[in-house]
This record gives sequence, C-alpha cells and structure tokens, in this order.
Amino acid sequence: MSLDVTAEVLERATIVRVVGSVDSLTADALSAALQVHLDEGRARLVGDLSGVQYTSSAGLRAILGTMKASREQGGDLRLAGVSQGVHRILDLAGFTSILKLYPDVGAAVASFAD
Amino acid sequence: MRFVDERSALAALQNQDALALRVAVEEVCENIVKYAYAGRDVGPIVIEFASSPEQVTVSIEDEGAAFDPAALPPADVTSEWRSRPLGGLGWHLVRQLMDDIRYEPISIGGNRVTLVKRRTAAL
Repeated sequence: MSLDVTAEVLERATIVRVVGSVDSLTADALSAALQVHLDEGRARLVGDLSGVQYTSSAGLRAILGTMKASREQGGDLRLAGVSQGVHRILDLAGFTSILKLYPDVGAAVASFAD
Repeated sequence: MRFVDERSALAALQNQDALALRVAVEEVCENIVKYAYAGRDVGPIVIEFASSPEQVTVSIEDEGAAFDPAALPPADVTSEWRSRPLGGLGWHLVRQLMDDIRYEPISIGGNRVTLVKRRTAAL
C-alpha cells in the first residue's frame, strides 16, 4: 500500500493532500510529512483526506499527534473531505468530538479566518 | 492486508464490512508484533478466512508469548484533546467493528484470535 502526500502553502493555511491508505506501513510517512510544516512554523494545517478510504489506529495516532502539536503551536489540524469509511473510524475512536471536520478544503481553509 | 481485501472481495462482502475486517485484522496483527512477539524476531502469523451466507470468520494465529487482548486497558475515547493518549485504540476498534471475538491460547505455544463479522444486508 502506498501513500502520496503533497502540500500547498496558502497564506491562511497549509493544505496537505493525502491519497492512499493510512496504515501501520504508511502512518509514519504521514506524520513526517505533516511535521515538516510544524517545524517551519506552519501550524494551521488542513488535511485533505478525500483521497483516503482507509485508516487504522496507526493513522489515528498520526492525526492526533499532529493535531496536538499544531494546537500547542497556536494552530490546528482540521480535516476536509473525510470519506464515510474513515469517518466511521474517527467516530469509533472518539475523534469526532475533538477534531474539526469540514465537507471540503475550501470550508476548512476558510475556518482559519483571523 | 491484501489477502484480507482479496478474500473479502471473493466473499462479496459489502464495502463497509470489508473495511471493518481489514482494520480489525491489521490491529490484531499489530498487537501480535507488539506483545506476543515483543523483544524477539517476529515469527509467523497465520490468517485463515472462511465465509458463509451469514458471516465471515477470520482466525489469526501466532507462535508468540501468550497474550490475551482482553487484558489491555480500555481506550480513552472521551477525554478532551490534551489528555488523549496517542495509543491504545487498536483493540478498541476491533471490539467496536467485529460482532464476535474469541481468544484462546494454543497449547504448544502461541495465540489464536478469531474474528466474526456478520454480513450487512445489501440495500
């Protein structure tokens, strides 16, 4: 299983587009790709998960770890375009009560209004 | 997890059931590596898949140290974000996603976890 992660840096937020499956083999790569932005002071992150149909608890660790680190830097990791299957996993893990989810990237970026 | 996906497709599982099974099998295998094979080379993990008109059954066997997943502490799924631990969700997902879970130690050494997923009726 492979995972493609690309980013687009906007003034208001950085969009991180994820395509593939987030599992025990790929979750570390996702964490590392997100950490790059935190290291460079870009803590307002939008995770575009519209290309992700599967995540295991390894993916949940990557999401929660990045969300915590970004909030501690005054930003946030907000998710957009979450598929039904991934949403179910987020819900069962109790993440939907602590994460901000948006139907699409535009809404997620706009949520970072100053 | 390709084996699980292929068998789920052959068994004509609904997409949501196939995803649930894939997550559950991955989590059980993760636990085997983390606990049953802790501190040693990872040994064999044997996965068997059986389907019937009502359900699919997956058994996962290892040759590691005895490890009953029921001994794991419950997951924290309600604390506010600062207090949420990064781990501990795998077995919680298995319990939530499967209809039945059985654990038994293997007499010659190792563990067997059997997962049962009842088929979701087609719409």
